[in-house]
This record gives sequence, structure tokens and C-alpha cells, in this order.
Amino acid sequence: MIRLENLTKKYGEFTAVSNLSLTIPKGEIFGFIGPNGAGKTTTIKMMGGIMDPTSGSIDICGISMKDEPEKAKRNIGFIPDRPFLYEKLTGNEFLRFIGNLYGVDNRSFAARAEEKLNMFSILAWADELIESYSHGMKQRLIMAAALLHDPEVIIVDEPMVGLDPVAVRMVKDLFKHLSGQGLTIFMSTHTLKVAEDVCDRIGIINKGVMIATGTTDDLKKISLLADADLEDAFIKLTSL
Amino acid sequence: MPGFLKDILILLRPRFLSFKNPLLSANSKKDFYRNLVLGTAGFFFWIGIFIISFRTLKYFRRIEGLGDILIFKLLSMLVLTSFSFLIFSSILTALSKLYLSRDLALVHSMPVSGNRIFVARWIESTADSSWMVIIYTLPVFVALGIVNEAGFFFYLNTALVLLSLSFISSGISSILVMAAVFIIPAGRMKSILLFFGFTLFLILFLVFRLLKPEQLVDPDVFSTVVVYLDTLKAPSSPLIPSTWVYDSIKESLSGSVQSSLFHSGLSWSFVAVILFINILMADMIYFKGFSKTQTASFRVFKYKYSDFPFTGFLPGASRAFVGKEIKTFFRDQAQWSQLLLIGALVIIYIYNFSVLPLEKAPIKTIYLQNLLSFLNMGLCLFVLTAVAGRFAYPAVSSEREAFWLVKASPVKIKTVLWIKFFIYFFPLLILSEILIVATNIILKVDAFMMILSFITVFLMVPGIVSIGIGFGAAYPDFKSENPAQSVTSFGGLLFMMLCAGYIMAVIILEAGPVYSIFMAAVHQRSMTILEWIWTVVSFSMVVVISILAIFLPMRFGEKELSQISP
Repeated sequence: MIRLENLTKKYGEFTAVSNLSLTIPKGEIFGFIGPNGAGKTTTIKMMGGIMDPTSGSIDICGISMKDEPEKAKRNIGFIPDRPFLYEKLTGNEFLRFIGNLYGVDNRSFAARAEEKLNMFSILAWADELIESYSHGMKQRLIMAAALLHDPEVIIVDEPMVGLDPVAVRMVKDLFKHLSGQGLTIFMSTHTLKVAEDVCDRIGIINKGVMIATGTTDDLKKISLLADADLEDAFIKLTSL
Repeated sequence: MPGFLKDILILLRPRFLSFKNPLLSANSKKDFYRNLVLGTAGFFFWIGIFIISFRTLKYFRRIEGLGDILIFKLLSMLVLTSFSFLIFSSILTALSKLYLSRDLALVHSMPVSGNRIFVARWIESTADSSWMVIIYTLPVFVALGIVNEAGFFFYLNTALVLLSLSFISSGISSILVMAAVFIIPAGRMKSILLFFGFTLFLILFLVFRLLKPEQLVDPDVFSTVVVYLDTLKAPSSPLIPSTWVYDSIKESLSGSVQSSLFHSGLSWSFVAVILFINILMADMIYFKGFSKTQTASFRVFKYKYSDFPFTGFLPGASRAFVGKEIKTFFRDQAQWSQLLLIGALVIIYIYNFSVLPLEKAPIKTIYLQNLLSFLNMGLCLFVLTAVAGRFAYPAVSSEREAFWLVKASPVKIKTVLWIKFFIYFFPLLILSEILIVATNIILKVDAFMMILSFITVFLMVPGIVSIGIGFGAAYPDFKSENPAQSVTSFGGLLFMMLCAGYIMAVIILEAGPVYSIFMAAVHQRSMTILEWIWTVVSFSMVVVISILAIFLPMRFGEKELSQISP
């Protein structure tokens, strides 16, 4: 469903991501963790088609991001870490904008939009300008928009930032539910508890290199800390 | 150092560092070359103003009896216009610096009193709003000094008194801004900016009428020469700060140091008064106003969702962007004052042509009408370039940090750029054709000139809009608090230079053939074969250049923007 092959990004002399290869099958939630500046957001931006890699390839649902970027993006629901939106549109108008871009059928749009807004508890704010939303509400709106066109892949950078505990629980449950329905989720996070709770597999990136991949138990074994939690394993692996 | 001053210096320190630190960044070399190009262009512009001013003033000086009066009238117009510009500029800067800047929340969370924050911000606002007006009026004053063989005191006094004018303008503006934000709830920023927009319009209109420029060249409207001279000599109101500045410069020019110091003293003492009033007001209402600005805006009317009309036939992605562009444009209140300003400029532009004393000119009216109409075409296109610089050039930058949505969406950058192109093309085409047709009707030009102007403008508007969108896409500024200002950047300079080159090329290409056609018509003879060939080749080249001007900048913009990641 998602295939990264020798993905590399260089900024001048600095290598942000180096030869990253990864395959994530349909229905898997993959957690992507790493220290600040490790290359997580750069990887996510390349996967979302926002940034070109220096070399390597990205396939989304078997479609090459390099050769057919528009087609590949149509299958993605992209959620960035910072909710920058068109502040002068209302929530409803923003969803219509996204719906039109991703080819959501006009007849089903109203029902879909209402369902998503309701799901993220922002239906009451649907006709207010986004500029009056709080940070968390904007994050909820972005998530609603990302799910509007029923994507096959969700790429999400720091999904829980700015969300209240109720929303965090809701998003965790939602991700599990969606993956159960066959949706593939690639999630970058600093919240190791979220990764531990939600992800089927976790990859640790450090200084642009993927240093370990596997389930939480696999990572504990790799770090030779069988009785410790993911946090201990993460600290050990990234400080090597 | 007193605590008050120390706090203000600490608050201003990030600003000083932001000037110094770019030198340390990885892009410093690139920035250096950009700044070098901008600085060189700015320098030549400064020199150009100086040369024109010097020649004009020298010419005035030679006119027996009337020369000094004309020079002083020009001086008074310059000071009054500068004062008006300083006020406009500082109103907008003060609103941004005092209430809307992103770092204000951080600054207000620090253990510093509100009035110190206000003073630091006010100093920044004064510098930002006035440096350009001061720098580009200086060459006129330098020319004035040289022509009148003024001494050192004139230059020193002029510099100081202009500085006082900047402080006064900024002081008046911040009082207006503080009062407006305090009276009108911050959630209604729209109303505040609308208020500024109307004020801008009214002041511009008043200044224009106060100057009575057409009377300067038309003594006939006065019953006698004495009345004419008296009108030119008529003093400005002593209650207007620009009058003190004018009087001070005038007196220093004629060597009356004592009298000049008196007027400078008036101006500087008013600076002290206005600063005192500002600090007093800041203590009372600045933080309250800022606090109101932080609250989410309450709206009387909700925006009930509806599809944007007349876009049903477009494909989904185009419909999405057209609706989004138009809605975000009209809901951005900063655009309103600009639209009002354009309205004022159109009226003034057309009005100028209606008061031209063509029948009194020594050249035959028919020649003058057609010559003016031809030159008007260029002028109108330069006006279009300025308007395109304000609206089309920042179209990509106005995506701001939401640009990731464009990049992540399943739509080609090329499509997005062409949508933006068409959104700005139609209004700008209508605006340009209104300007050219209305002024041609006023000039009573013949059918040939009317058709030629209409078609030339029709051909060139898409090229100018395309250069705006293309270069705006190649040099975007997504981080800017005010994307409209992006035209003052390096890319904006390239856009302006390219447009100017394009307009001049078309005017030069058309000038020869138009002259031949016109003269053949006047002398009622047919054109020679050579003239025909020249005409066909010239007009064909205009068409070719115009087609290239549409497609090349768009392709350049697309290529560059595709490389940029948010």
C-alpha cells in the first residue's frame, strides 16, 4: 500500500533522510518516531507529495508519486503537524473546497461533511470563519477534511498536538477502526504512549537513517531491554 | 541607564538583531546579491529623482519674478504630500505593529509595562513607515539646497525637521489607531480597516484638491496676474504640522537661522506633546485594545454555505480554487482599502484628462489629442502594472502557510497558477479598458487611435498579469504577515522591470507605424509599401511579444514553485 525505496533527501551538504526503504501493507498503522530533527517531517512531506526527494521512490497504492503525483495524492489524506488553513473560509466552505479538489460527489458531499464535522465535534462551528477556531479545532477540521474523500492512505504528522484528552481518545479509536476497515495509516509522533497503544509496527529514525523497525516487543528486544517500556527502548536506540 | 530606556532598548533588540543575523545565515550570499541588486536599483532611482528635481528647480530659478514663488509652491506641495503619505503609511504600520503582529502575545507575556511595549513598538512603527518617504524626498531637498546655494544649516535643519514630521505623523496615526481599536470592538476589524480605507480615500481626495495642480499651469483662469501670483503665494494653515516644516525649510533656505529655528522648535515641541499624549493614551487604553484583539471575533451574520455562482461549469479543482480565491479576497479587509484607493486613482486619472487645456496648447489640437492618446496607452499600462503588482503578484504569496494544501492536493501547480491568472485577468482587463476608453473619449481621439489603444491594452493585459503571477510564484513569500508587500521584494523588482521593458518595447514598436498611418490620414495620402511592411512587421512583433509574455512567465513560475516546499 505504501512503498518507500531508498528515499533520500539532501539540503545542500546535509542529508536529512538517507536511503529509507519501507513497505507498509494495507490496513497497517505504522508509527514513525525519532528525536527532533531526525527527518520525520521531511519524510512525511515527501510522502505527501509536498517535497521532492533527492533520490529514491514513493509508491502509494501502487502509484508512483514521481510519475503520477496527482493520481497518487488522490488516495492520500494528509494531516500536517501545524494546522495552517485558509482563515477567511468557514469550516463548511473549507470542506467543500477539499471535496471539490478530491472529486467528492456533489450529491453526497453535504451528508459526508456533516458526518465528519459531527465526528470531530465541530458541527456547531461549521459556518464560522476558521480564523475564529482554536488550535485544536483547526486540527480537528484538518482531520475531518483528510477523511472526507475516503482515502486509502492516511499520512499524519503529530496527530495529537493541540487535541484535548477526549479528542485524543477519539482519534486513537478512529484510527484503529479505520485500519480495521483496510485503511493504511502512516503516523509520525513524539507521544510514545500513542505509538504503543495504536501502532501495529513502529519505525525509529535517527539522523535521517531508519535504525529499527518492528512491533513494540521487537524494539525492546533490539534494544536489549526486554523488561523496559517503549520510552526506554527509544532512548537507548537513539543514543547509540 | 534609566529603567524605562533600558526596557525599550531590550524590546527593540530583536529588531536590531534581525538586521544583523541574516549575514550569518546560510543564504547570506544569495541575500547579499539580492540586496545589492535592490540597493543599486534604489540608488539609481534616488539619483533619477535628484536629476529631475535639480533640472526643474534650476529652470524655475531662471524665471524672473515667478521663479522663487514656483519653487516655494513646489516645496509646500512636497511637504504636504509627504505628510499625507507618512500619515497613511503609519496608520497601517501602527495597526500592524501595535495590535496584529504575531510576536505581540509573547511580548505582552513579559514582565514589562504596557507603555514601554507601546513606546518600543511605536518607535519601530515610525521607522518602518517613514524611512522610504524620507529617503526618496531627500534628493529633492538636496537639489533645492544646491540650486539655492544653501549653507550647511539648511541640510542639517531639513534632515531634523523631516524627522520631526515622521514622529508627528506616526504620533497622530497611533492616536487614531488606538482610539479606533478601543471604540470599535476588535472582532470588527473589518469596520476598522474600512474606516481607514475611507479616511485614506478622503485625505487623498482633499490633498489632491488642495494642491490645485491644474491652476499652476493655467494663469488664464485668474482674472489678473496679481490674483494668480497671490494664489501661488497663499500660505497653508498654521495649524497643520507640515506648515511648520515648510516654514522652517523655507526660512533656512533664505538664511534666516533664527526664524527657521523657531519653526523647527514648533515642530519638535509638538513631537514632545504628541508623544506625551500617546504615552498617556497607551497607559489608559492600549492594553485594553490589544486584549480585545485577542478575543475570537463575534459575527452578527453567519456565512451560510453556498456554492460560488457562475462556476458550475468548471471542473471540480478549478471550481474549488475560484470559490476559495474570491471568497478569501473579499473577506480580507486589508483588500478593501486598496480597492477604494484604486477607485480614487481611477477617478483622479480620468479627471486629469478632463482638465487638460488642449485648446490653449501651441501644437494643433488634433496632433496633441492623438499624441496624448498614444502616450496615455503607456501610462495606462504602467498604472495597470502598479495595480497588478498589488494584486496579481502577491496572489501566490497570499496562500501563506496554507500553501501545503496546494502542494498536497491532487492538482497540478500549473492549473493553480492559471486559475489565479484568470481570476485577476478579467477585473484588470476591465479596469484598463475603462481607463483607456474613458480617457480617449475625453480626448475626442479618432476611431483609429481608439481601436489601436483598445486592442493594444487587450493584448498586453494578459502579459502583465502573467508576469505578475509567474514572478510572484517564482519568488513567493509565504511567511509574510502582509503578502501584499511581497511586491517590494527582489521578485517584485524583477516583475516591475520586466513589465516596464515590455510596455516600452510595445510602445516603441507601435510608435513608428502609428505615426505613418496618422500622417497619411492627415495628408489624405495612401501609405508607401515600405510603410506597410514596417507596420505589419511591427504589429506582428507586438503580437508575438505579447504571446511570449503570457506563456513564458507562467512556465517560469510553475517550474520554480514546483521546487518550493512549504
